[in-house]
Amino acid sequence: MTLRAAAFALALLATGASPALAWDPYDEASGSPEPPVSAPPADPAPFIAPPPGLYYVTDTYVADVVTVSGPLTTYTTTTIHESTGSYARVLDEVGTGTLSTFDGAAFNGRATLTDGRAVAGTYYENYLLTNDGFVPVSVVFFQDDAELARQRANTPAPGASSAGPAPVAAPAATGPLPTGTCCGGKGPGEGAEREPRDVDPPQLPIRPGVSLAPASVPLTRIEVLRGRVVSIWLHAFAGDREVAVRAWSLASGDGGEAVSTSGGGATPFRTSWARLAPPGSAYELVFRLEVDTPETGHRLVDAHIAVSVRSPALQD
Amino acid sequence: MNALRDDHASAAVTTVVLLPLLLTVLAGVLQLGALRVAAARVRAAADLATLVAVNDQDDAELSRTGSLRLAGDASDVAREYFERELELSEALLAASSSEIAAMADIAAYPSAPSVDARTGARYQRPAVRLAADVPVRTPVFGALAFHPVTTIGVLAVSSPR
Repeated sequence: MTLRAAAFALALLATGASPALAWDPYDEASGSPEPPVSAPPADPAPFIAPPPGLYYVTDTYVADVVTVSGPLTTYTTTTIHESTGSYARVLDEVGTGTLSTFDGAAFNGRATLTDGRAVAGTYYENYLLTNDGFVPVSVVFFQDDAELARQRANTPAPGASSAGPAPVAAPAATGPLPTGTCCGGKGPGEGAEREPRDVDPPQLPIRPGVSLAPASVPLTRIEVLRGRVVSIWLHAFAGDREVAVRAWSLASGDGGEAVSTSGGGATPFRTSWARLAPPGSAYELVFRLEVDTPETGHRLVDAHIAVSVRSPALQD
Repeated sequence: MNALRDDHASAAVTTVVLLPLLLTVLAGVLQLGALRVAAARVRAAADLATLVAVNDQDDAELSRTGSLRLAGDASDVAREYFERELELSEALLAASSSEIAAMADIAAYPSAPSVDARTGARYQRPAVRLAADVPVRTPVFGALAFHPVTTIGVLAVSSPR
């Protein structure tokens, strides 16, 4: 019995045994192979890190939109929240009228304001991830600008509607649409604040000026001799530059014996005073200047000047 | 009757005696009147000269600052017009108008305030001052043992006010 039990146990061990796969690391002469190394599972796709500045697109370009609301015209870009598997990076952020090396490169172009200046916005470059890495496929311009319509003589801007905001889609881009378009997480509304100067370009301050010569320093007070004809020139300055005065008119004040109380910008106000102002006072003249340039829009500004009329007299 | 005749003689003698005196007084009055006329003309000439000079302004300075400022040649203008005005009364003058004008002390004060070194006056505005001694013929005075030439001093100041 005992013998049979021992034989059974031996047989069981013999059948259930498995090789120990032991090997001697120092037994080079024996030529025993190294234990098999299990190869790591291969990645489904090689990971390629995006270049700096590149980010995954989550909002895709749809169209350029021009919205006219009363005198305000807004240039924006609509997007849709979706991922097309593309990437993008910012190429250039441009202000109103600022030239960029990427002008003309965007498939959707870059619109212009009514005064001809290019709108502000941001250039993005779209990338697709291929086996060769990130490949640029297109450039898109996200416009973000606004302007106040010039108050031209009752001529509404094209597409303008006084009833309320009226989105006007920009002309469709003629270039090929990118397979993956821009630009997630950093739309123009998030990436760059709107600049007030772009929103209100006509608010460029205009300084009126009055001088006694076509090209002379502006004066706020002048002395003239009684009866002597004097020419008063009207000027306007936007920033540090002189802008053309379209027309002027004498708004208030004693203009004396003026040749004309209104005229064009190239015409001075010519007059003479036969009477002196009351003692201790001066004639306060106010000229209304009309300025209409691309930089300033149509504006009316008042120029003030005090005129002291003096008469040669004998002293006791 | 004799007394009346005596009175007539007395009146005639008195008239004869006093006539030279009366004529002398009359001539003196006429001369004095002529002198006053000459003085008025000289004064008017000085006034007009300074007024014209003040009316001559520096237009460039006016354009630059807006303030009246005498032209650089205001003194010359005043002298020129003083001479021109004196020419109209040259018969009354003991010297030529050009000599008188050349001798005149004319000063221009382009900016104010300023102080006249001659008179000490303070000018609050640009001013032109003319001071001149004008010799005027006074022959009657000469005949009466006075000076045949009377000098009239004139001072004129003008400024825009």
